[in-house]
Amino acid sequence: MKVGLFIPCYVDQFYPQVGIATYQLLEKLGVRADFPVKQTCCGQPMANTGCEQDAKPVYRHFVDTFQGYDYVVAPSGSCVYHVRKHYDVVEQTGAVQHVRQATYDLFDFITSVLGVTELPGRFPHQVGLHLSCHGQRGLHQANESEMTPVRDGQLSRLLRSLDGLTLTELSRNDECCGFGGTFCITEEAVSARMGQDRVQDHLQHGTQVLTGGDMSCLMHLQGIVRRRQLPMRVLHAVEIFNVALQPSGTSVSTFVPQSTTAERV
Amino acid sequence: MSHPQRAAAFTSDAERTTWHDETLWFVRQKRDKAVYAIPEFQELRQLASDIKEHTLSRLDEYLEQFEQNARANGVQVHWAADAEEHNRIVLDIMRGVGATSLVKSKSMLTEECHLNPYLIKNGIAVVDTDLGERIVQLREEAPSHLVLPAIHLKKEDVGETFHVHLGTPKGEKDPQNLTEAARRHLREKFLIGQVAITGVNFAIAETGAVVVCTNEGNADLGVNLAQVHIACMGMEKLIPRTADLGVFTRLLARSATGQPVTTYTSHFAKPAEGRQMHIVIVDNGRTRQLGRPDFRNSLKCIRCGACMNTCPVYRRSGGHSYDFTVPGPIGAILSPNIDMRQHSSLPFASTLCGSCTDVCPVKIDIHAQLYKWRQIIAQEGELPVSKKLGMKLLSSVLARPAIYRFGGKIAREGLRFLPHALTHATAFNPWAKARELPEAPKQSFRDWYQQTVK
Amino acid sequence: MPSRESILAAVRANRPAATPLPPVADFAGEATVEQFTHWLHFIGGQVIRLAPAQPLDQVVRQLYPDATRIASDLIPATVPVDQQTPTEVLEAVDVAVLRGELGVAENGAVWVPEVNMLHRALPMISQHLALVLDHRSIVATMHQAYAAVQHTGNYGVFIAGPSKTADIEQSLVIGAHGARSLVVLLR
Ligand code: SF4
Repeated sequence: MKVGLFIPCYVDQFYPQVGIATYQLLEKLGVRADFPVKQTCCGQPMANTGCEQDAKPVYRHFVDTFQGYDYVVAPSGSCVYHVRKHYDVVEQTGAVQHVRQATYDLFDFITSVLGVTELPGRFPHQVGLHLSCHGQRGLHQANESEMTPVRDGQLSRLLRSLDGLTLTELSRNDECCGFGGTFCITEEAVSARMGQDRVQDHLQHGTQVLTGGDMSCLMHLQGIVRRRQLPMRVLHAVEIFNVALQPSGTSVSTFVPQSTTAERV
Repeated sequence: MSHPQRAAAFTSDAERTTWHDETLWFVRQKRDKAVYAIPEFQELRQLASDIKEHTLSRLDEYLEQFEQNARANGVQVHWAADAEEHNRIVLDIMRGVGATSLVKSKSMLTEECHLNPYLIKNGIAVVDTDLGERIVQLREEAPSHLVLPAIHLKKEDVGETFHVHLGTPKGEKDPQNLTEAARRHLREKFLIGQVAITGVNFAIAETGAVVVCTNEGNADLGVNLAQVHIACMGMEKLIPRTADLGVFTRLLARSATGQPVTTYTSHFAKPAEGRQMHIVIVDNGRTRQLGRPDFRNSLKCIRCGACMNTCPVYRRSGGHSYDFTVPGPIGAILSPNIDMRQHSSLPFASTLCGSCTDVCPVKIDIHAQLYKWRQIIAQEGELPVSKKLGMKLLSSVLARPAIYRFGGKIAREGLRFLPHALTHATAFNPWAKARELPEAPKQSFRDWYQQTVK
Repeated sequence: MPSRESILAAVRANRPAATPLPPVADFAGEATVEQFTHWLHFIGGQVIRLAPAQPLDQVVRQLYPDATRIASDLIPATVPVDQQTPTEVLEAVDVAVLRGELGVAENGAVWVPEVNMLHRALPMISQHLALVLDHRSIVATMHQAYAAVQHTGNYGVFIAGPSKTADIEQSLVIGAHGARSLVVLLR
C-alpha cells in the first residue's frame, strides 16, 4: 500500500508538529507514508473566495503530485472534502478520478481503510472535541445534530478508546467555530464571535485539551484561547494519539500543561 | 454597506448578540426535538424535495391546471411579471370595489414587492395583522426573519413601541399584556377591513385551492370578515395534489418552530357567497432562477426559516445585516438572482458549514449554492480588487512548489522575527483583533521530513 | 404579450428535465386517543372525554359558566349564527361549540370544514372554541387525514389548539387573534 502524505500548506509552515505526529502515528500503525515534496496546497482558499478558475492549476498540480499513490492521507478533513467534492471542475481524467477517491482524512483512513477503531494508550485529561464541519457534515465522519440526538463519530470513538480520557459534553456539540477560510478575515467580527462562543462552551464544561481533526479550526480557536490566556491547551487529535501511543516510559503529564497563560501575550 | 459592516455593527452589542443567538438556538433545539420524534423525517424531506423537483419540471402545466381549477371555483386569477405589476393589480382590485382599507396577514411576497409603501402612497390604509409584522410595521422597520419578524427586538422595545402607538402604559413589557393590547387593537382593524390579503404557503394544482398556515388565526379572521380576499403567491408555491400537503404540513411547522403543526392550516378554494377571491401569481425573477440549473432548486423553499435559526452567522449578525427581504442562508442564494452587484457580499457571509442544508426540509443544497454564487460573483468582477489579485497571486505561487516553499519560509520567519506589535497590528491584520497568530516554529514539516526521514 | 403568456413561455423555456412525481406518501402511526390527547395538551388545548349518556349542553355550561353568548348547531344556542350574521354579532360570541370531522393523533389538529362552521369567521372570532369529535374519527398522521378529507372543499381548516403567538421575545402567549382556548369534547 503506497500512501502519500498531504500536509496542508499552513500546517507545513506553522504546525510542523502536526505533520510529524501524523507521520509517526501512521508509522506506529504500520504504514510508512511518503511525503512528496513538490506538494503545495489543495486550492481551497482560492475556490472558497470564488476564484475556482484561478485554482485549477493548483488542482492539477495536486493530482500530478499524488496520482502515483494508492491513498492520499491528510490530517485535515477540510482539504479532503475540497479534493473530493470540488475537483469536479477540471477534466475528469483517470488520474483526477483516482486522486479524488483515494484522498482520505487521517481518521477516516485509520477507521475505514486500516479498520482501526480503538487505539491503545493513555491520555488522562478532559478533552473537548471540536468537530470540523467539513469532516462532519461534508464527509460524514460524525453524526449531525440536525439529524439525530446520538453524538457519535470516528474521532470521538478513537478518543474514547484511550485510557483515562474523558470527553467533554458540550451544550452545542457541532456548532461551527467560525473559521471559514477567508471568512475569518472578511467577516472578522462574526468569525471572532463564533470562535469565542465555541471556546466558552468548552471552558464552561471543563475542557483541558481542546482538540479536533482540522488544524484550520484549531488555529482560529487557539488564537482566541491564547488571546484570552485561557487555561486550555489546543492540540490536533493526531498529537494526542501520537503521544498516548508513546512507548512506555514517556510521561504524558509533562505534555499537557495545566495552563498556558505563560505563553506570549 | 456590505454584510460584514452591518454584522460588525450588530455584534458590537455583545449582550444583545448573545441574546439573539441563544433565542434562535432555542428555536433550533425545539426543531431538533420535533424532528427526532418522527422516525420518517428524513424520508419526508426527500419526498418533499422530489415533489417540488417534479413540480418545477412541469411548472407551466401545473400553473395552467391550477388557474383553470381556481377559475372554475369562481376565483379571479391574475398574473404579474414583476413587483410593479403585482402592486398595480392589487391596487386595481381595491379601487374596483371602492376599498380604502386593507388587512394583511403574513406574506413575504408582498414584502418582496414593497406593496405597503406603494398602497399607502395611493391612499390605502394598510394594517399588517401578524403580531410580529405589526410591531415592525409600527416601527417602520423590515422583518428580520421569515417566521419571527420581530426577533431582533426585545420586549422592552416592543413595550415602548406599543406605548407610543397603542397607548399601553409606559414601561409595560409583559409579553402577555402586550399581546392582549395588540389583540384588542387589531380586532378593531379586522372588523373594518374591506379587503384582506394573505400570502400562500401552498397552492394545489388539482383543486385550485390555496393553503395558508398561521398560528395566530389572523389570516382566517381577516379573510372571513372582509368582502374581498386577495391571495398573493410566488409561482413556486405550487404542488400537484392535496395529498402532497400531508408531506409538507408535517415538515413545515416542525422545521420552523418545533410545533407538530401550525395552529391553523387553512384551505381556501371558493369565496363565500357574495364575496370575492383573487389570486395573484407572481414571477418577479423566479423564471430566471428556474433557468439557472445550479440555483433553481432554491425555488423549492417553503419559507420555514429553519436555515436562519441554525445559521451561526445569522444568529450573530441579525436579519437586517442581510439587507434583503429574505435574510439568512436562503436569502443569500436568492438575492444575487435579483441584484448580484448589490448583494454580492451575501454569499460570502457564511463559513459553508452546511448546517442550513442539513435542516432544510426540502433539501436545498444551500451551502453548495453559496459556493457556486461565489464563483459567479468573482467571474463577473464583483469581488473587491484586493481579494481578486491576492487570489491570483496565491494561485501562481501554489502551482509552483519552489516559490511556494520560499514564500512559506518568509511568512514563517517574518512571524518569528518581527515584533508582536507589528504582526498583530489590527489595521493590517483583522485576524489579530480577537486572535493571536500561531507561533511560528523554527522548522517547517518539510524541513523536518527531509532531515529526518529521507 | 400579456404577463400570463410571457411567464408561461419563460417557464417552458427554463424548466428542468422532467422528473417523476413520487406516489402519495403514507406512513403508519398511532391513531389513538392517547396520542391525540398528548399532542393537543402539548399545543395548549384540552381534551375532555364525554360519557355516552352525558348531555352536551350540560358539559358546555359547566365548562363555560360565565358564557352568555353561545353559538352552536349542536346544543341550544343563545346567539343564532349563519352565513349572513353581521360582524358585530359574531364579534360578541363567547363560545362556539362546533363539530370537528376528524382528529389527527400526531399533532392534535381537528379538521373543521366550512359546513360545520355556521359562519366562516366563527371558529376564529369566538373568544373560546369547543369542538365535538367522535373518538373513532381519529387518524394517525396528516397523510391519513388528507386521504380522508379528499378534496378540501370550499373552505376548511385544520385547527390545532388555541390561537397563539411567540412574536415577542419567543415567549408563548395563548390567545393571539383567534380563540383564547380550545377544548375538544371526545365522544
Ligand atoms: S431554504 Fe429550506 S430551511 Fe431555509 S427557509 Fe427555505 S425551506 Fe426553510
